[in-house]
Amino acid sequence: MALEKIADRIVETDVLVVGGGIAGCPAAAKAAEHGLKVTLAEKAKTDRSGSAAEGIDHYGGAFPRGMTPKEWQGYIDSFSPGFAYGAAPWADPTRFYRQYANGMWAVEELEKLGVTMRWTDGERRPCDCHHEGPFLRVHWQNVKPEMAAGVRKRGVNVLERTMVVDLLTNNGVVTGATAIDTRTGEFIVIKSKAVVIATAACSRVINPETPLPWKYKFNYHWCPSSVSGDGWAMAYRAGAELSSMEQAERGGRFRDDKVMSFGNHGNEGIPAKRLTWDGEETIGRPGFRSRRFAEIQRQGRDEPRYISLEHLPDDYQKRVEVAFVDERLVSFKIAEDRGFNPRTHWYETMDNRVNQLHVEPGIYLDADFMSSLPGLYAVGDCMAGNHDVANAAASGFLVGDSIHEFVNKASEPVIDEARVESLKQISLAPLGVKDGTEPMELESAVRYICDRYVGVARAEGRLREGLRRLGSLKREFLPQLVAKNPHYLMRALEVRNVMDIAELHIQACLERKETRMAHTRLDYPEADPSLDDMLLFQRLENGKSVIEFRKRAPMALPDDHKEER
Amino acid sequence: MPAKIEYKKCIGCGRCYDLCPLDVFAWDEEKDIPVVAYEYECWHCGICWMECPKRAIDITYPASFW
Repeated sequence: MALEKIADRIVETDVLVVGGGIAGCPAAAKAAEHGLKVTLAEKAKTDRSGSAAEGIDHYGGAFPRGMTPKEWQGYIDSFSPGFAYGAAPWADPTRFYRQYANGMWAVEELEKLGVTMRWTDGERRPCDCHHEGPFLRVHWQNVKPEMAAGVRKRGVNVLERTMVVDLLTNNGVVTGATAIDTRTGEFIVIKSKAVVIATAACSRVINPETPLPWKYKFNYHWCPSSVSGDGWAMAYRAGAELSSMEQAERGGRFRDDKVMSFGNHGNEGIPAKRLTWDGEETIGRPGFRSRRFAEIQRQGRDEPRYISLEHLPDDYQKRVEVAFVDERLVSFKIAEDRGFNPRTHWYETMDNRVNQLHVEPGIYLDADFMSSLPGLYAVGDCMAGNHDVANAAASGFLVGDSIHEFVNKASEPVIDEARVESLKQISLAPLGVKDGTEPMELESAVRYICDRYVGVARAEGRLREGLRRLGSLKREFLPQLVAKNPHYLMRALEVRNVMDIAELHIQACLERKETRMAHTRLDYPEADPSLDDMLLFQRLENGKSVIEFRKRAPMALPDDHKEER
Repeated sequence: MPAKIEYKKCIGCGRCYDLCPLDVFAWDEEKDIPVVAYEYECWHCGICWMECPKRAIDITYPASFW
């Protein structure tokens, strides 16, 4: 059948950017600057979407310009000794260094895009953060409206309320994507010479606080729309490699979220106290110490932790309030409604529960941010080994600045119509189901499996049972997913992604039979030296899932290399 | 309760419907006003509340977040 008959709309472009956040907007804007025809598909509305929807108070990872790989490693060691949180062991080190080394170049590019980086006195304000290294404090309540305006001004074709569902390939090269309009239900085919995935990581395989079996189950710290794992799932289904999917982040389950936003005191460099519930002070950011928390979970002592600002003088309190305005204005309102006084009340977190798949896991990329699938790039939080704003912006600008080299050599994308037709049937199926299972019910079942059978402290038998249950849940209920309208179709397609990611996560947890970083196996409590520097890769090959350990790429740059941008 | 629209103040500008990252609002074509259509999906981010030019939207925490 002709493509025109299958698709409600066909969009032709040089570059498709999936997701209009802190990485996607820079990638789209910069690629357009090089004269390319760029299309940006955003699931929500670019002006208020993604992790920065409500604003951000910090530009994290603002390492000095012109640092060498050696200096960069020194910096990381200085705030994360012997651990290198999110650092080189989990990504191609060359790419990882490049995204850090270009963080301050990205600041200048952001300013050109129309994003406010300076304070009212005309200066940028560096700030020392207790857990992320150097960064800038920014008044970024309106970073998203500013970015969205910048992107439109550069002539990017922005498709709002458009969810990209699957990638299209031809002879092992990306040729575009299928998408749905979440308001009208239109089935869209986007023909593109290259695709840049700029989505977030994935939280929705894991329950938020509080996981009551009732409603409002999107109580995540980061934008729930972004963290459904869309980018990872579409990349995996198209044949690109994901890595480190066994690693999961802990410490971000905030029961009092939006009452006292977690980031604000830390991002202001304010020495908050971390307490147990009887007031004993705990040191540091315990969420990252996997083994200790595995022990706590094994003993059933899943206790809350508290953050307190009550010992701090007034000027600190004022600074925190300014940070609220920058990042989560609604905090003031909700705190007032609840009678919560951030000066005297403690803020509750569940530090030792898994919070999301983030930082280490993601789409594995080479030094030029290309995935194992030619023509498919990734930027921002969906990259393996990324976690902060500067990395997102820098990766976006770097890809936008160089993607014309690939696009100009690429041939016209050829679309496999039979494939599009079958993808259309799969994607739109929930619209035709009667009396089926609603997306949120199925998603909650997946999250509960990950909570019960994976968690922090993992073991063979439990993981196998989790995988078995997930498999039967998928077989029985995925075909029964019902969507009453295009809005629910978006949710149904998200559940499909959430299920794919949960499956990859459990398979990876089973495969890594050792304890390493954020992956703890009760049955293999020590690190296996033969797996030093070995990354766990997963990909789909001829319809079969392949999982294997491979040594990560070595650093390709000499110790005294300097980035020229 | 998530976002709640006070229709006496609402001017039907559509900002909440346009901007909500969770697509919680739908548009009532007949009356030309926004409606809270998917309230259980509310993230309580407050974007509708902060962007509403008439402060016609209130947002409070539900019991399940306590």
